[in-house]
Amino acid sequence: MGHGRPIATTRSATGIPTARLAIWWVLASEIVIFGGLLSVYLMHRLGHPEWAAAAAHTQTWVGALNTFVLLTSSFTAVLAHQAAEKGDGKKAAKLLGFTILGACTFLVIKSFEWANEISHGYTITANTFWSFYYTAAGLHALHVIAGAIIMGYVAIDAYRGRELHRVEIIGIYWHFVDVVWIFLFPLLYIAK
Amino acid sequence: MSEKNTRSDEHGHDEGHHDVPYFKIYVALIILFLISVAGPEVGEATGLRWITLITAFGIALVKARLVINNFMHLKWEKRLMKWMLTASLIMLGIMMAGVAPDVMNHEGNNWVNLAAQAAVERGLEDDHGEESEVVTVVEAQPVGFSAEASFGMICATCHGAGGLGDGVAGAALDPSPANFTDPVFWETRDRDRVLIAIRDGGVAVGASALMAPWGALYDEEQLGQMADYVMNFRPNQ
Repeated sequence: MGHGRPIATTRSATGIPTARLAIWWVLASEIVIFGGLLSVYLMHRLGHPEWAAAAAHTQTWVGALNTFVLLTSSFTAVLAHQAAEKGDGKKAAKLLGFTILGACTFLVIKSFEWANEISHGYTITANTFWSFYYTAAGLHALHVIAGAIIMGYVAIDAYRGRELHRVEIIGIYWHFVDVVWIFLFPLLYIAK
Repeated sequence: MSEKNTRSDEHGHDEGHHDVPYFKIYVALIILFLISVAGPEVGEATGLRWITLITAFGIALVKARLVINNFMHLKWEKRLMKWMLTASLIMLGIMMAGVAPDVMNHEGNNWVNLAAQAAVERGLEDDHGEESEVVTVVEAQPVGFSAEASFGMICATCHGAGGLGDGVAGAALDPSPANFTDPVFWETRDRDRVLIAIRDGGVAVGASALMAPWGALYDEEQLGQMADYVMNFRPNQ
């Protein structure tokens, strides 16, 4: 095998670094995935006045707490990017660590929330509102889990001063996960 | 807003630092978030529901914009990237525009979504009186069957709403769909044969293979009702 970096990571016909172009492509497809799910939820919500009764049972303060956690984790992710730009891999790794901590906090809060709701009979099959609730938030939670795992790899590399450009890439993904939640929060918790 | 201080004049500025005041953006996000949480309280206190909608979705858009521009640095990306994402949003818009009329309405000129209407009715009834702690698990209700509605929805496409064999989709078929009002047709038919044709298709009675079998869609009793409905077209002898 030859030495050096693979061509795909150095070549750039668009003038945009390949990794960043790729993550934006991922997000372009995610727009359709989450957008499709959320817009169909919104249409059903408008067509079904009775969903208001079900939506009244979501716990606003839990959703609010998680919104705060995700916003903060986005902040530490962008600070990690800033540190990586300055070549400070150790600081970037530490800040990514805080972001992973935010991801874990989010998931712990979510699991308590869901356990409470399921124990009260609000399961994914209770009615269509709850089906959407668990599908949308569940798909989002899967993205949180995936992001946290990948961020772990990136942080380990960054700590050793390797592949610092990846800090920005995982950050862009993480901010998107944050943006999805920014819309999920009013849709599922506030508009009742 | 504070982000106006940042360099926004550099298009296609790839590498290098963006002097974004991250902490200020973060504080702005938290303040907007607190307003969005307080929105429903204010909306309820003043009885103005639109306040909640603005604080919920208006603020969500502003927050998303702040994150996308300043944290994801889309503001500094090449125009190509913005077009890529816009294309995705346009696709999403087309999908929404296409399905919205079907999802949001529960009836139209030629169709009724019985299941959705029943769900609304059941749900609103549940809402009356005391709120129960445990949600009543709503089983999927069998949708009310009507031979007339089924004939109108399925058979009429070829056989015509009046059974004259003049349905829109039947015009191109060879042999053309049976005319149920034709006495000659009934010379060789009875209820049993009609029932078999509906259930197992035209082939089962030695007629046109273009008559599809519908047995998988209906139970025996419903098939019987549909056969009876077809028998109604038979002219008196």
